Amino acid sequence: MNKLLKTRLVASTMLVASIVPAGAETVVTQWDQFATSGITAAGPAMDELIAACEKTLPGTKILRTVVPSIGIRESYRLAVSADKTPDLAYTWPAASVLAGYARTGKVAPLDAYYAKYKWDGINDFYRGRNSYKGKLYGVPMEQDLMGVYYNRDLFKKLGLEVPKTYAEFQAVASKVKEAGYVPIAFGNRDRWPATNTLSLILGLTAGRDGEEKVLFGDASWNQPAFKQAAETLASWAKDGYFPRGFNGIGYDEANALFLGGRAAMTVTGSWVLQDMARGAKFDLGVFMLPPIADGIPAGTMWGEGSQWQIAASAPDATKDAAAAYVDCLISPEHRQVWVEKGFLVPIGTKAEDLSGWNTLPAVKEFYAEGLKTPDTNFYDLHTTLPESVTQVLYPELQRLIGGNATPDEFLTAMQQSWSKAVANGERWQP
Amino acid sequence: MTSQRTAILFVLPALVLYLAFVGLPILQVAAYSLFTWDNGTVTGFAGLANFARLIDDQVFWTALGHNGIWVVLTLAFPLMIGLLLASILAECSPRTIRVLGAIYFLPRTIPLVVAGIIWGWIYNPMFGLANWALDLVGLGVLGGAWLAEPSTALYALNVVGAWTFFGFCVLIYLAAIQAIDPSLYEAAQLDGASWIKRFRFVTVPLLKPTTLFLGLYAAIEAMRFFDLVWVTTQGGPGYDTEVLTTHIYKTFFLVGDFGYAATLSVVLLAIVLTVSGVSYRLLRSA
Repeated sequence: MNKLLKTRLVASTMLVASIVPAGAETVVTQWDQFATSGITAAGPAMDELIAACEKTLPGTKILRTVVPSIGIRESYRLAVSADKTPDLAYTWPAASVLAGYARTGKVAPLDAYYAKYKWDGINDFYRGRNSYKGKLYGVPMEQDLMGVYYNRDLFKKLGLEVPKTYAEFQAVASKVKEAGYVPIAFGNRDRWPATNTLSLILGLTAGRDGEEKVLFGDASWNQPAFKQAAETLASWAKDGYFPRGFNGIGYDEANALFLGGRAAMTVTGSWVLQDMARGAKFDLGVFMLPPIADGIPAGTMWGEGSQWQIAASAPDATKDAAAAYVDCLISPEHRQVWVEKGFLVPIGTKAEDLSGWNTLPAVKEFYAEGLKTPDTNFYDLHTTLPESVTQVLYPELQRLIGGNATPDEFLTAMQQSWSKAVANGERWQP
Repeated sequence: MTSQRTAILFVLPALVLYLAFVGLPILQVAAYSLFTWDNGTVTGFAGLANFARLIDDQVFWTALGHNGIWVVLTLAFPLMIGLLLASILAECSPRTIRVLGAIYFLPRTIPLVVAGIIWGWIYNPMFGLANWALDLVGLGVLGGAWLAEPSTALYALNVVGAWTFFGFCVLIYLAAIQAIDPSLYEAAQLDGASWIKRFRFVTVPLLKPTTLFLGLYAAIEAMRFFDLVWVTTQGGPGYDTEVLTTHIYKTFFLVGDFGYAATLSVVLLAIVLTVSGVSYRLLRSA
């Protein structure tokens, strides 16, 4: 009995000691979406780096909460509205939503920290996406790229080559279809996958400059390059590139269709690289979709997807500790951990770095291709448009690819929603 | 006087909880609807401007129409099927009533989220049971993407709703039928009334209060259901399964326009209260 009592006393003392911070300790509450599988499967890397950074930053304690990526934007919004904003958060969908929090003063400006820690590896494109009206509010970390995953074994079996032009891509898709396979595994029941596909196509019909004229200028959605993008996506659906009933197929189910060898290609992003590379029972390859319109340079959709942001309401000491910790997380010496343990390729990582690190061949191949065109890579609509416009884009895209709206009707609906958002001051402005 | 005071004291704890967790939030939501919001932050007083936005909000009218269709379909099918099955079941042996009653009621015990996931698989265009079964009986041409086609999505979802609700109707109707005085049936039988006539002229009229109760319950459920749509279609394809609750959810959580989401919630509450009020009057007069 006495022994049991003693054991309980010792355990209680240890518990109390573990939850009561030491006098000089600064606790930073952190929300992130790094799980151990599926999208953003960088949980193991996150755990390792918290331990490493706490060692190098004595007095800083990270109190981590993992919020599933599928619900983090809703959870974060509720937390902000209830004045319970976590000190540090890694959330999506990036620019558009970040702008809303910057506009309402809920996230802290980070220009001083950018200068202090010399975060020069974050280029102008990424800085722009994390700015609002000239001030920086987010620290992007990962490079998301869109590409075409393909089943190399099936390509060989059907005598197909990786397409170098869009016409060749169309020919490949047609041959795959004729052979009785699904050309592109695609499921849009979750509504967001088609926005990524359209973003990729749009960049290859309008180019980055053409996109910026609409996104940051006064040009309209009703213009030839945008129409060509809508027509192209609609034609993929109409020509049978996608599986039957794609608007009723989930994103994961589409990936399973590809991984099961029933589809030759799938057009999606680097965020699902881990599941792809591990799940493929065939030789997995990656290529970039060639330009679609004449005169448009090669490139792909890229972005950070999510970013670190610090609560404006956090005490100054906590903000300082959070910034120092972020500096540790994004430091060049920790990139390898992100890549090897998290299948997440930090901004600033080069294809040459990857080639020497212990990661899957598909990761190396994806980034070797995607990082060839940094100056012409373009925007992801999903993380760029204000949420009110995104909530129109989702259903209108389902209607477009389902054959229930024409490209003109789609663009008119988008322009109406866009005009309203711009008038309301919702547009993200770097 | 003492007994009245005692009664109030007994009611008080429940009343306080009700006001704290129902009354106060309703007032809060009503207050939210009078302001403009930006990403969860109040930016100004809007008066009734949020309510004026309803007029031009096509998604609101589409969603309201879908809720209306859902009410009609729910009143039509689960109630009718429930009434018919209960009438047949009432004439079976107690053992059969117990077994079949339990089987019919089983779907009701499944949460709508789970029912949505199960039926999502059944309707799946790639591996779904529905298309497979049609193929099996040589009707493969009728197969399709049930939840992905504008022409079928809402009705396919309603089948799921009906599946989870009809068993409840069977049990309620069965209890009501068993409470009907058997001498009425005996008298009708002596007069030579067939089963159909006994059903039409004895059962149905005497079940009017039960039907009104189930109708009211079904109508309110049909206005406020959310989970089934959210886990299966999220309101798609396009806006073809959008209902008021999904519109509210998107406006609140995804767009962050708390004021307009609150306005939509107030409208939904007003509709449900009106339906309840009318039904209550009908029930009292029945």
